[in-house]
Amino acid sequence: MDTTLCPFDRDPTGKPIVGSDPRSLFAFGHLVRETEKLILDLFGRGLVSGTTHTCLGQEICQMAVVRALDDPRDHVLSNHRNHGHFLTYSGDFTGLVAEIMGRESGVCGGWGGSQHIAYRNFHSNGVQAGMTAIGVGIARALKAEGSRGIVATIIGDGTLGEGLLYESMNLASIWQAPVLFVVENNGIAQTTYTRHTIGGGIEDRGRAFGLAVWRLNDQHPEFAGQSADIVGQMRAHGGPGMLVIDTGRLGPHSKGDDLRPEAERDALVARDPLRKLAERITAADIAAIETANKAFLREVESRAMASPLSTFQAVPQHSFRAAIDVSADVAAMNPTKEVVANARQALNAALHGLFERDDAVVLLGEDLHDPYGGAFKVTAGLSEAFPGRVISTPISEAGITGAGIGLAMADRKPIVEIMFADFLTLCMDQIYNHAVKFPGIFPKSNVPLVIRAPCGGRRGYGPTHSQSPENIFVAVPGLTVVYGSHRHPLGQLLANAVERWPNPTLFLEHKLLYGEKLDPGGYESLVAGAEDMGADLFPTVRSGSRQPDVTLISFGGMLPVVEGAARKLEEEEELLVEIVAPSLLAPLPRQSLLALLDSRPLILVVEESHHQFGVSAEILAMLAENGFSGKVARLGTPPAPIASARSLESAQIPDEDAIISAVLRML
Amino acid sequence: MATPIHAPRINNNDDEVKVLAFEVEKGSHVRSGQIVGQIETDKAVLDIESPVDGYVLSLVAQPDDLVKVGSVIAWLGEQADEPVPDDSEMAPVATSRDLGSITAKARLLLKKHGLSADAVATINGRITVEAVERHLAADTSRLAASNRDAPGADTRETPPEIPGVMLSPSREERGMAATVAWHRDHPATGYIEIEYDLAPWAKYAKKMQDDKGWMMSPLLSLMTWRLVEVATTSPRLNSTMINDQRYQYAPVNLGFTIQAGETLFLAVLRDAASLDEEAFVSALGDLQRRAAGHKLRETETSGATVSFSSMERWKVSRHIPILPPQTSFIVAHAAGRDGKGVLGATYDHRVLNGAQVVAALKLLSRPASD
Repeated sequence: MDTTLCPFDRDPTGKPIVGSDPRSLFAFGHLVRETEKLILDLFGRGLVSGTTHTCLGQEICQMAVVRALDDPRDHVLSNHRNHGHFLTYSGDFTGLVAEIMGRESGVCGGWGGSQHIAYRNFHSNGVQAGMTAIGVGIARALKAEGSRGIVATIIGDGTLGEGLLYESMNLASIWQAPVLFVVENNGIAQTTYTRHTIGGGIEDRGRAFGLAVWRLNDQHPEFAGQSADIVGQMRAHGGPGMLVIDTGRLGPHSKGDDLRPEAERDALVARDPLRKLAERITAADIAAIETANKAFLREVESRAMASPLSTFQAVPQHSFRAAIDVSADVAAMNPTKEVVANARQALNAALHGLFERDDAVVLLGEDLHDPYGGAFKVTAGLSEAFPGRVISTPISEAGITGAGIGLAMADRKPIVEIMFADFLTLCMDQIYNHAVKFPGIFPKSNVPLVIRAPCGGRRGYGPTHSQSPENIFVAVPGLTVVYGSHRHPLGQLLANAVERWPNPTLFLEHKLLYGEKLDPGGYESLVAGAEDMGADLFPTVRSGSRQPDVTLISFGGMLPVVEGAARKLEEEEELLVEIVAPSLLAPLPRQSLLALLDSRPLILVVEESHHQFGVSAEILAMLAENGFSGKVARLGTPPAPIASARSLESAQIPDEDAIISAVLRML
Repeated sequence: MATPIHAPRINNNDDEVKVLAFEVEKGSHVRSGQIVGQIETDKAVLDIESPVDGYVLSLVAQPDDLVKVGSVIAWLGEQADEPVPDDSEMAPVATSRDLGSITAKARLLLKKHGLSADAVATINGRITVEAVERHLAADTSRLAASNRDAPGADTRETPPEIPGVMLSPSREERGMAATVAWHRDHPATGYIEIEYDLAPWAKYAKKMQDDKGWMMSPLLSLMTWRLVEVATTSPRLNSTMINDQRYQYAPVNLGFTIQAGETLFLAVLRDAASLDEEAFVSALGDLQRRAAGHKLRETETSGATVSFSSMERWKVSRHIPILPPQTSFIVAHAAGRDGKGVLGATYDHRVLNGAQVVAALKLLSRPASD
């Protein structure tokens, strides 16, 4: 980033210092507008591809709250229409123009383009309302650390149709988190007028959640001061608020999609707050500002043009970060040496150990508190032992996942429990578009989030409480999926995920394994391949013959069933059977698995999930791509809803007989 | 009529509960609503109340038992001497799979040898690996025939006059008796031992264990593999005397003593020289696992051509093994001390002389690559 090129004084964090007088506001607002015009001009000249959303007409609106933020711990979470926020926060004009041009000197090196920018405590992303729960998480962390910092989460009125916004407002309210939801109300969402999209009043929405609510108009002569005053009130009361700013968008939503009548556009030009500011300063001042800004932007353009196009040295094949070299030995964390008999107790003991030794660990989820202790009792005893760090939340899966991301970005180590893995689809946007994107795009963004979820069937819970959704989540780039079993050191896996693995991680736990005795049996860990990230923290184990007639690959809650089938195959069919059980499904420990499986004559992958396009498909594709010459097959739940009746369910999910039949068919 | 008390469901997600205690005993009279005991799940403890007035007929579960939700933990009756109902008929019937007439492994073997199943006699109604191997052995009956008819065991004894019962020996015991009888009657046995450094073998085995990530040390398996190699390069070790002529075996069938419970097996890995080192270690591991489960097939308990016996497990410092039938060399491996160990061999002096045995022991005392 070019830190020198900014025509304004900057505070120690690099933020431009913009006065609240008309001349200063006009000078900065004019520069923002001219910068966006330059960007549109670059588009016109074919120097930029992709898309952009300008804030033409909304410059003063976008500057207002961000300008008033003066604490180094303040955060700004923005959206697709972010240029005014970003420039007011960073003063990095060249960085923005170069970023949009896809140049090396872009503020994010060309990864983010116009919509996705991370810079200090500024984050923007391209999904409506996607940042709102993250802002609540960051605000909760700020409050817990005793900071006076607040979070400004800025959305447009079009975002008011998104449900996550209301989960976020509710969480902010019950946690009294210092987050200001700023609604920039330009009256139109892309091409649809707000009057067609909003039922009831905008401010009523904030009031319903108990937020402090303000409404301002960016044409007001004292608008900048009013905004600063609200920021001051936010700091003083330390809770959440909502500020609605009425504004007007002069340009199209993106490019070429402004279908509004000319009269309406003329009216917008007439209300233009920048023009109103110009009326309050001298013509000489305006001319001087215009000349200076023009010269400045010529320099910005030439510097951006001089920067080479962004290129990869090698195209990244993944976005995982290496394990952290710290000790996370669960045995050492649990000096009382309470007897750990089953998987549930192992996880519970590991959680107690993690809370004991690391203040950064927090737990969020539904009904976690004692005496209930969570739906499957994995969190029993934690809320009483560690008050304030075990947070029973509203039923808001997406919201608490977002809050977890925010806490992780604020240096906490959040563990989010989703009561049934089936509900993880509610969290999908937060995982898919946020948790994995930030570390993938921004080198300084860390999201060490662990999401725990009980999964699996064979309890008769029916179509939406019985699924094993790992097949969906292994396909999320950058998401780690750990699915251990009673043959793995489960507590250690969890501790490794929380303390040593700095990547967003889904930690699946089969419901039927909770009561299963934790016992390595005759299993041994495979040597982790040097190329297999995380394979040493989340090992693959194997047991049985080293010269098997058949190798069964399985994981998680399927493993006890596979073991039963293997016993029968050995006793009744005299076959030598090997079982291979990875605990890390993504990133798949390819090198470790290939080294073992390469010479096997016959491999059957058994999984509980709907197996088409799933984990088994990936494992078998890997074998095929590497010249495997033996026979392969896979067995899973067919792609139909899982029935409630036990007699139906047991016919759907593979059981011992199904596994034996599958093996015999292969011979 | 008897009334059951069922284990209740306390938590929706727990299928099992633990019986903590009963406050009544068999024969006690209880009133409806009276607390008869407690059960618990991971966190909650719940009193169990009697549903009726009556007598405790039976406490089916015991304190500390984990029982399935819905199962009967106690029976109550109107009279103290009512019979306890048999609730086994209430349990779901486990369905068993129809087993095919040929085991999967036997099918693989038939295919490998191009055999038709019709030609093979079944064992207990199924064609098993053993059935196929018996069939194959009948075709090429050399080893099987010579091993099964242990010579010299025909001296009949009369039972002692002290009271006692006659017990039939197991298959393994019969095999052991035949082995000992052959050792007594045929070879001219000698025993030689040498002292050797433990370090090179220990280092070699440790490296392999670390490289492969194995849980168990492969030391013994690797030393045994060395014996296979030595028997290949020194074929005399892999031969025997039959009627004053030396019989040179073609394959190296490696015999390995395995103690499984009370039983001592000489497990046999046939044609061991066709494997490589790692495959041999794996195969020997499989053999040991099956021996531990008493699952060895007949072909895996006979037909050794050269053998290895270790008593290191028992910290034995020296032992002199018995020669298995129609072999001339068995290695005796024992526990070492202060970095030194003793490697010995029982041998048939008709086949091998002392110098040949010492030369073989020296080769065995270090890893090949050393």
